[in-house]
Amino acid sequence: MTDTSLETVDATALERVVTSTDANTLGRYWLGAGSLALLASLVAGVLVALERLDLSGAEVFGSADEVFQFWSAHRVGLVLLAVVPILVGLGTAVAPRQVGTDTVAFPRMAAFSFWTWLLGAGTTITGFLIDGGLGAPDAGSQRQAVALTMVGLLMAIVGLLGATVSLLTTIVAGRVPGLTLRRIPLFSWTLLVSGTFWLLTLPVLAANTVLAYVDLRGRPAVRFGAEDAIWEQLSWAFTHPQVYAFALPLVGIAFDVVPVSVRSRLANHDVVLALTGALGVLGFGAYAQTFFDTPGTPIMREAIYVVDAFAAAVVALALVGGLADTLRRGAANLGGRPPAPMVLSVLSMLLLLGAGVAGALRAVDPLDLLGTSATGAQMTLTIGAALVGAMAGTLWWGDRIFGKSSSQGLGLLAGLAAVVGVLLVGAADLVSGFLGQADFTGASVAAAGSPDSGVDGLNAVALVGVVLVLVGALGWFANGIKRLTGAPAPADPWGGHTLEWADDPSSVEVTSERPLLDARQTEGASA
Amino acid sequence: MLTTGFKLWFGVFTAAVGAAVFAGYTSGGDETGPLSLAWKGAVGNHFSYGLFVTAAAVALALAIFSVAFRDGDAEAAAELLGTDEAPPAQRPVGGSWWPVFAALGVGATAVGVVVHPAVFVTGICIVAAVAVEWTMTNWSEKVSGDAAHNAAQREKLVRPVEIPVLGTLGVGVLVLAVSRVLLASSVDGAVLVATVVGVVIFGGAIFISRNPSLPRGLVQGVLLLGFLAVIVAGIVTAATGEREFHHKGGGGHATETHAGDGH
Repeated sequence: MTDTSLETVDATALERVVTSTDANTLGRYWLGAGSLALLASLVAGVLVALERLDLSGAEVFGSADEVFQFWSAHRVGLVLLAVVPILVGLGTAVAPRQVGTDTVAFPRMAAFSFWTWLLGAGTTITGFLIDGGLGAPDAGSQRQAVALTMVGLLMAIVGLLGATVSLLTTIVAGRVPGLTLRRIPLFSWTLLVSGTFWLLTLPVLAANTVLAYVDLRGRPAVRFGAEDAIWEQLSWAFTHPQVYAFALPLVGIAFDVVPVSVRSRLANHDVVLALTGALGVLGFGAYAQTFFDTPGTPIMREAIYVVDAFAAAVVALALVGGLADTLRRGAANLGGRPPAPMVLSVLSMLLLLGAGVAGALRAVDPLDLLGTSATGAQMTLTIGAALVGAMAGTLWWGDRIFGKSSSQGLGLLAGLAAVVGVLLVGAADLVSGFLGQADFTGASVAAAGSPDSGVDGLNAVALVGVVLVLVGALGWFANGIKRLTGAPAPADPWGGHTLEWADDPSSVEVTSERPLLDARQTEGASA
Repeated sequence: MLTTGFKLWFGVFTAAVGAAVFAGYTSGGDETGPLSLAWKGAVGNHFSYGLFVTAAAVALALAIFSVAFRDGDAEAAAELLGTDEAPPAQRPVGGSWWPVFAALGVGATAVGVVVHPAVFVTGICIVAAVAVEWTMTNWSEKVSGDAAHNAAQREKLVRPVEIPVLGTLGVGVLVLAVSRVLLASSVDGAVLVATVVGVVIFGGAIFISRNPSLPRGLVQGVLLLGFLAVIVAGIVTAATGEREFHHKGGGGHATETHAGDGH
């Protein structure tokens, strides 16, 4: 049934682009816009890494305030404008197919969410570029521009929330008969879990933003905190443990890709369901807001935070173990050249494990790593893992989403560049944290925490790492462009196990979590 | 039997309650505070404790809904409806302008809060208009099973209102945006901008009217780009502020003239 208003009969290409409510098309929009924002965020990251080569002054930027604007733009952009939207895009295109339907629930709201997010992302970026950002307005940023950045951020959050509601409703209420929640593919399951926590935490971030906005613009009578502490009120969303909640779908991607690649069933499906649920719980980070520290022990030194950090590392280790077990059991089926998505998804899980270890180390009080660049290392490793997982996901499901083939070799190279880059940044920043380098280094050695000698070399390594991630992202983007003009793709290039690979999901009898594999084995047995 | 969704969200509830008690007790609370929701005793870090308890309440509600509706399984829906087959989860709805217009309205409202009250009011008007239109669309889709008949019913009811209202809104937004540009420009610059914009609009209209075979998409694309350019220019100039105005005579009722120095 078509929309009966402002009709799109004989719609032009422009009208079709702007008015589409098709899940697959919206998924492509999210992927495209998210990848552009990713490139912009990484460029900001490269500039900040260049600035860190000399801690004694602001060489690349004009002042410490400008350094902060780009530093915070890099983090906000990477999480809320790039990686999470890319995962939402993959989910919007893939999850409905995985549960056996051809559209998302509330398709118009899904379209509204994308456009709202896009406008919000554009406004946020504009705010950063016109001397706004999330810094202290009295330190040089224009108040109007700072306010613009915050309303842009609010719009982006609203868009992400709307898309999440649409996705979660699709997964819960759009499944074909037989496909119980216990049997849904693990990517959809992790979207369900992570989406739950996005819905629990993003409104808190929105509330933080509103409070900060009121502080900035309001009269003294309605001030809640301090107008020069905007970032302090929002930073919890871009660090441990909240980043786990954002990155969680990468686990689902890996556990969907690897069993199909090695032609094996997952031995402990229910355990993986429980572990991913646990990682979601551990990723609930809204409680860890240093801005609202009560007198006494700061939240990041309290027992709950430390237990959370270590538990997340243990859960990540258990998930990697489960994946390794599946790989071991199916190793004989793998052949000489493992599929690129499988390689990347395994590496993304290892990066997640690295993030868990970095997070646990950071929480050890005697090491005194809180506030150091170890914080950035943990964030980079987690969000970097999610990015690599998303790269694997687009290589895996891209043929289905775009209907055209891409270069698996280029995709693998781009992904490997990103993996090495994330690893270099994460490792260098973690070691720099041990040497006392502050998370935000500012424009003087004192602001950088007066770190020990050796951080200059490590910052150079981190710069190489960010450049490599940027190169990887460019390669991934180029591969996506190449796909648009590629050859028609086969319907199921991997021999998939789950419903997204079926031409007609309603004709498939679902009696386990791998209905297509069941059907093939039944056919094989009867033949 | 407990459903998978119930297990997930009840697990989240349990974990959140456990975390609340643990956080409340280990951050300076006493033995009874975290267990009694601070009815008796202290809970230590109030902020963390409050967020955990809120998360627990939401997760418990989700768990109850999930088990009550059997996770929304297709079989349960069919049983509830008394049919052999589950109803379609969601039908494709085709293209719609309302999402993008609604987003533009929300965007204008949000940006208007920062840059200018008029932009804010415009945004509110767009959101209100879209809310009515969107509602009418949803209503018309349920009139009958015939999409063409539904479309006719909707047009009959709404077109006489929406065309003049949307036209007025469009003109209003353009006038507002162009006026911001003119107020931010120097006197000479404002004359130049007004002349160029006027000539471009008039010339463009003549060109389009004399070439009716122009592709509709091309015309739409050019109009959209022009519209967006004017809006962006209006927002940017509203954010940067007006030029200085010099008052002759210095009194409150003196005639206002422009200095013409462009500053």
